[in-house]
Amino acid sequence: MTPTTLTERYVHEVVRRIPADQRDDVAAELRATIADTIDARDPDGRGAAEREVLTEMGDPIRLAARYADRPLALIGPDLYPAYIRLLGVLLAAVLPVVTVISVVVDVLDGDSLGAVIGAALGTVLTVGAQFIAWLTLVFALAERFGKRRGAARGAGSWTPDQLPEAADSGSRTAAIGGLAVDALILGLIVWQHTAKPYVTDGGERLSVLDPALWTGWMWPVLAGLAGLVVLGVLRTATGRWTTPLVAAYAAANALFALPMAWILHSRQFFDSDFLADLGGLVAPDAFYTVTALGVLAVSAHDVYKRVREWRA
Amino acid sequence: MTSEELILTQAQELRRGTVVLACLALLEEPQYGYALLETLNDAGVTVDGNTLYPLLRRLEKQGLLTSEWNTDESRPRKFYRVSPEGSQVRARLVREWRDLVTSISRLTKEA
Repeated sequence: MTPTTLTERYVHEVVRRIPADQRDDVAAELRATIADTIDARDPDGRGAAEREVLTEMGDPIRLAARYADRPLALIGPDLYPAYIRLLGVLLAAVLPVVTVISVVVDVLDGDSLGAVIGAALGTVLTVGAQFIAWLTLVFALAERFGKRRGAARGAGSWTPDQLPEAADSGSRTAAIGGLAVDALILGLIVWQHTAKPYVTDGGERLSVLDPALWTGWMWPVLAGLAGLVVLGVLRTATGRWTTPLVAAYAAANALFALPMAWILHSRQFFDSDFLADLGGLVAPDAFYTVTALGVLAVSAHDVYKRVREWRA
Repeated sequence: MTSEELILTQAQELRRGTVVLACLALLEEPQYGYALLETLNDAGVTVDGNTLYPLLRRLEKQGLLTSEWNTDESRPRKFYRVSPEGSQVRARLVREWRDLVTSISRLTKEA
């Protein structure tokens, strides 16, 4: 038998995928078995029969997996529930937090709005892909080299305590969405101050909001927003609103909304140089009144919704 | 899936475990892979080679079969036979099988 026969190539493809100490024995047995089958089908020549018999033996990867008693799945049924659950937590809870942190860092570095948005998208894609890739790799290795079957797999035991709250998924999405909006406002405020994105015809760079605020009312506004972001993260991590969390949420919202309404009401909001460069634009009184009331109304509504979720 | 396909799939599920029992029963006499496959298929226990050959090795690894290379003929072949432990397992499995047959026939008679 020359090494180039179909049988020889087939046997080689099978045994190179099984443990080295069994290779010679399995190869010898496979050769004999295939030859026996071919002889029985076609005692004279060895034309079509060899091809037919090898076709029936099937894909060498599949046969090798059977010989090595190895699963034909990257992640089998034992590990699948733990894998899916962990992937969900990583992508739905950890990824948004990582993205918000990277956005805040970019904003503090004074990057332009376009660069910040681009970097945020890049973070979502690369960090998300890393989460998926590494988690899959770890679970595939556990599947391949971990204990086969048996109750010894701690990850497999499930109790009803792990059931999520019935209303959880909707309120969780809302919490993540609210968190993202708060983080965006926080980022924009810091960004317009550090990057001074508005450039006058004379080449002078201006911030949009009144710089004088940074010696006064801006700090409670920022503290309130930061508090809202942190509470949103805590809510996502714990899975529901607790009494202290709702109380802190209301306090943080008040810390943000009351000074913000005051800033708007007393017309300290925009940088006067910025308004002047826009052509001496004077916003009507109604703008400030409506915006101030709008901020209060949105915050009150948010607190009301959280209290309802908490009591539900 | 038609009802005919459904029946074929379910019948395959029913047969799956019987191959091991049939091997343990037949290998009271030493036998090599291909001959065993033929005997099983002639006896109505249909099984493919790519299932049977790895199964024999697995049973050997579990200690239910022993094996020996026979080099008397021009083509060396690996012969399997039941180990003492394999005989005990077979006796238990045969009892399980009879219990199953009894239970199912009682159930299907009442139905």
